[in-house]
Amino acid sequence: MLEAVIVKKLRDYTLDVTLTVQPGEVMVLMGMNGSGKSTTLNIIAGLLEADTATITLNGECLCRTGDDLDLPVEDRRIGYVLQNSAVFPHMSVRDNVAFGLRARHKKRPVITERVALWMDRMHIADLADVKAGNLSGGQKQRVALARALAIEPHLLMMDEPFTALDAESTQTAKDLTRRFVKEMQIPCLVVTHRMADCTEIGDRACVICEGRKEWEGCPDEMPEFAPVCHCA
Amino acid sequence: MKEKLTLSNLVLISVIFGLLLVSALFAGCTQSTTSTPATTAATTVPVTTVATPVAAATTAVPTTVVTTATPAPTYTATEGNLVAYTAASLTGASSSIGPAFTKAYPNHKVAFNLDGTQALKTQVEAGAYADVFISASNSYTNTLKSEGYFVNDSVKTLTTNYIIVILPASNPANIKSLSDLAKPGVKIAMAAGTVPVGSATMTVLNNSAKSTYGEAWKNSTISNVVTYETSEPAVATKVSLGEVDAGFVYQSTAAASASGTYKTIAIPAKDNYLQTYTIGILKGSTNKAIAADFEQFMLSSAGQQILANYGFTAPKTS
Amino acid sequence: MISRRLLPKKYRRNLTYLAAGILIAGVTLYLALPILALFIRISPDMFFETVHDPNVISALWLSLFTTCITLAVVIVVGTPFAYYHCRYSYPGKVVVDTLIDLPLVLPPAVAGVALLVLYGRVGLLGKYFNMFGMPLAFTTLAVIMAQIFVASPFYLRQAKSLFEQLDPAYEQTARTLGASSLRTLTLVTLPMTATGLISGAVMTFGRALGEFGATIMFAGNLPGVTQTMPLAVYVGMQGNINVGLTISILLVIISFTIMIAVRLIQKREAERA
Repeated sequence: MLEAVIVKKLRDYTLDVTLTVQPGEVMVLMGMNGSGKSTTLNIIAGLLEADTATITLNGECLCRTGDDLDLPVEDRRIGYVLQNSAVFPHMSVRDNVAFGLRARHKKRPVITERVALWMDRMHIADLADVKAGNLSGGQKQRVALARALAIEPHLLMMDEPFTALDAESTQTAKDLTRRFVKEMQIPCLVVTHRMADCTEIGDRACVICEGRKEWEGCPDEMPEFAPVCHCA
Repeated sequence: MKEKLTLSNLVLISVIFGLLLVSALFAGCTQSTTSTPATTAATTVPVTTVATPVAAATTAVPTTVVTTATPAPTYTATEGNLVAYTAASLTGASSSIGPAFTKAYPNHKVAFNLDGTQALKTQVEAGAYADVFISASNSYTNTLKSEGYFVNDSVKTLTTNYIIVILPASNPANIKSLSDLAKPGVKIAMAAGTVPVGSATMTVLNNSAKSTYGEAWKNSTISNVVTYETSEPAVATKVSLGEVDAGFVYQSTAAASASGTYKTIAIPAKDNYLQTYTIGILKGSTNKAIAADFEQFMLSSAGQQILANYGFTAPKTS
Repeated sequence: MISRRLLPKKYRRNLTYLAAGILIAGVTLYLALPILALFIRISPDMFFETVHDPNVISALWLSLFTTCITLAVVIVVGTPFAYYHCRYSYPGKVVVDTLIDLPLVLPPAVAGVALLVLYGRVGLLGKYFNMFGMPLAFTTLAVIMAQIFVASPFYLRQAKSLFEQLDPAYEQTARTLGASSLRTLTLVTLPMTATGLISGAVMTFGRALGEFGATIMFAGNLPGVTQTMPLAVYVGMQGNINVGLTISILLVIISFTIMIAVRLIQKREAERA
């Protein structure tokens, strides 16, 4: 379970959000561009510093500003998938998926087994030796997902993961995400600005407007004022 | 949108290209026939020719009143403007010679290209334009004469210079005599062998070794040399900066420097090398009359006085 | 002249090709002919004979030795420097930025004077080095110092620009996957910027190999110790022209070899992708 209380003064407004995500639950963060959604994810990941933040994941404290507690990025066991998938183009798909495991110095047989498992689950096993830079957008996103999940993270975060994909790839990615979040029973935070993504993938949703949580609830009950994009 | 290259276009382009290539090669070939064959390093055996200096009296001869163009010195032949390729050791003197010449010959100006004589010689041989050539080495002068660059009759002895050792004012290595130059750890600067003062230095070292100090001294001194500069003033600079303990330069450099810049160690006349400077008019000059005026000025008492002020030794009359 | 619009299309096209042809031929010849002239001016026999001249061999060895060390130092020190300079903001960053560019516009002779005034025997810092028995001026080390001073901006600016332009998403993702800063740098950042870094290194090598003004001012001119190839060319052309020409040709050959080698490497990288 993820519990986060974050306050950070930004250029135009102050970011002030409180989030709670249950294991196996997909929480969708919606809002206009620049409302602070991505900043929130970066703070939870440890890539940005907040003014005050208290973040706990499965009871373990990732960050408590008051006590000067701040776990470095590489120790937080969070899977993070970005909009442009950020697969390492010079490495093969296999090396990409294995990257996190190798970074954590897992034993060789463990790595081989897990990599094969996740490539299989994401339907990219036949691309194992292809250089990741040569893949299509949808394939890259599945590689990024496999890479993030292979390290068996305690939290999965995704920032606009479907925006650059075509309809079919989007559907595949959504299905895979939901399936494994449920299977692994980890909390999942998805940032998007598209209504369709919210209703198809989210269990709960909240609307962030100018750094503050304006509304939280079921995706079907999203109020009309929510500044979201109704395209696709 | 790329257009397709048709055959006729290709033919056209190759013809143009070929014409350009041929004309360029042609131009290159015609140039190379006039240049002299590659010369090997001049191992100078000093040849001193003592010519009779021209009589002192100068008659102020403004030949024609010409309207000169550029005020700044340029290395091109402009009417009334002379280009003088001058050995670098006359750098200090040149700042006085220029205005004095213009005073004596109004409407005439002289621009100096100051560099090691060897560098100037190479430039002239490569086709550079000059009216007058002041050389610090008889050997280079003779080479240029035999190659046909000089108006041979115009080549005269201008002045002479002895070699001297200069030390920084603080004398960091505590050098008191020539023998101290061979002490281990002493840093010496001299000019490269192709520079006239450099080969003169080698002669001085050889003479001193033979007469007084011995071969071991000479070898130790040479191994103490840390840099072979490409012109005489550069040697003086290294010494004045204090970066070396001693340097071999011309007496004129030491004499003309502000008092207290250097300490000096004289070299006995019997071991010393008397460098002879010559002045001559180049065949390619288009200002031969004015060049002759300049040469006459330099050889006159006015010119010789300036050189004496800057520490040069007047040539002996034979 | 007839108005362009009235000319039939064929003539217009030929005119364009003619102009293009002249331009390309002109530029190519301007660059190629002087190099060709070097090779034509000296006979092959004389070249091979002069190559054995001890001055030529010592200048060749000295140049290659010093330039390789310069390149190694610039890469090993400059890469992490450029990386930290880009990724962190610190007070005075703008000044450092300007200083990196300075040696590019500074005349090499001025650089030499500056190095001499600082590190020379009576220099501001040099006098302390001298006291401890480590003179800097007029040594081979001085040659390397001069080369590093004038050539490092080529690599540093290139590295800086590459690291700045690299999408931070890659490094961030690597960090979240558990990679330390060092692992991220070596497995993600450097491979992705490798091609650009290599071209920066090539430019640095070329600039260091050709360095003259700062070298002769700070390191002096002593065969076997500080007389690099450019100095030897200069001195040679004033006395022994064959030596000057031979070393010039050697420099051309070295430069061409490096450029071709780098092109081949880059082509192979592009083909593998």
